[in-house]
Amino acid sequence: MSHQPPLLELRDVHKSFDNEEVLKGIDMSIERGDVEVLVGPSGSGKSTLLRCINRLTEIDRGQILLDGEDVAGPDVDVNELRQQVGMVFQDINLFAHLTARDNVTLGLRKVKGLDTEAARARAEDELRRVGLADQADSYPAQLSGGQKQRVGIARALAMDPKLLMFDEPTSALDPELSSSVLEVMEELVAEGMTMLVVTHEMRFARGAADRISFLDNGRIVERGPPAQLFETPEHERTRSFFESIASEA
Amino acid sequence: MTGLAAAGDVLVGTPLQTTDWAFVWQNRGYLLQGATITIVLTVASILLGFLVGFPAGAIEHYGDGPLRSLVRGAGVVLRGTPILVIMIFAYFVLPLDWAFVLPVGDAFQAAVVALGLRSAAYQSQIFRGALGSIDAGQLEAARAVGFSRVGAIWNVAVPQALRRSVPGFQNEFTIVLKDTSIAFAIGLGELLKRSYDLMVSQTTAALELFLAISLVYFVLTFTTNRALDILSTRFAIPGGDD
Repeated sequence: MSHQPPLLELRDVHKSFDNEEVLKGIDMSIERGDVEVLVGPSGSGKSTLLRCINRLTEIDRGQILLDGEDVAGPDVDVNELRQQVGMVFQDINLFAHLTARDNVTLGLRKVKGLDTEAARARAEDELRRVGLADQADSYPAQLSGGQKQRVGIARALAMDPKLLMFDEPTSALDPELSSSVLEVMEELVAEGMTMLVVTHEMRFARGAADRISFLDNGRIVERGPPAQLFETPEHERTRSFFESIASEA
Repeated sequence: MTGLAAAGDVLVGTPLQTTDWAFVWQNRGYLLQGATITIVLTVASILLGFLVGFPAGAIEHYGDGPLRSLVRGAGVVLRGTPILVIMIFAYFVLPLDWAFVLPVGDAFQAAVVALGLRSAAYQSQIFRGALGSIDAGQLEAARAVGFSRVGAIWNVAVPQALRRSVPGFQNEFTIVLKDTSIAFAIGLGELLKRSYDLMVSQTTAALELFLAISLVYFVLTFTTNRALDILSTRFAIPGGDD
């Protein structure tokens, strides 16, 4: 059998902001179809790690390989790279002046170069996939938080990413609105999408993750299948983190 | 309309004389030509102000380095100089001779340059503020689907910033329209200049003439403001800004 490189590989990734090192040597690899959940206290570097992967932030040292190719390589067009790595934001960040449909078509038309009809058809497919076929003509301000975030997911999916990253997708939503977003994410897991998810939703992590990485203070403290981290963590720090999360929920 | 004239005795210079209104009416064609020049001058100046001011505002908000310093500096100088000084400078100092491109006189060209550049300096601030009010997260989301920086600004920030610029733009339009009267100083036959010349030929008609042209200015500012209101409503984002 031919050997395929992991879809995503991080090698000794370092990143500092103003002399403060937020990532202190991260190693990680994610295979196709895997779901990796990143957990950790705020300020532990989770969001920065995601932003380094699609180069919204540039790393200082180390290497990030997507499909075996260095994302910071000299031949890499960063705008090409970003089409392959979808991102869903905590703040959702829908384009406020466009309908749900056009939030999805904008990238298809102007980045991928699809014609209006093809972009429209594709957008409607993606909106159907997230359960919002009937809201295609609504503007962001007319949608609930959960609906907006699902449009955000549709927008990312439409670009056909190899990897879909979620940065606390439900943290800005009321619990009852989160569930529709989590359901869509669970469907994507079932479809085999490769996902890297920063979240505090432990139910999602336990049910959907192939692996959980616990980040603290810029380092991966512990990484393993959900059962291991929830039930038999090796480190005291991991145990206390999951206990504090459980007591909040 | 006859007002004081009804009292019987007719004094030279008494306001609101029937004969003076008749004089205004007789010269309506001449005055309307002036009003046309005022309108064309306003539109040309606003257009020049937009074409220069919009990129200038974008450079002030998104740019950096010497280009931004240059744009900022030019804006400070233009906003800090009286329009009358700018206009006299444009007419007497700048070597303007574009008559081979546009069949218009030097005074008109100088007035467009002066009003247009001064307006650009103010319009840049309207757009700078509007662009700055667009949430940076939206631009980041556009970058994340593969837009270049310029592509993200153009497709996401600009359409929203233009909508938010309308109220500031209404003020600017009103100011430019009224300030076209300053082209009087360089002899351009716009509305004020023409009424002034008429007054010189019939001094008793001063009040009537200036009331008449004030009405014209008012109608022009009022209608353009209303038109921009309608435009603003027409292009408002349903549900408001998110």
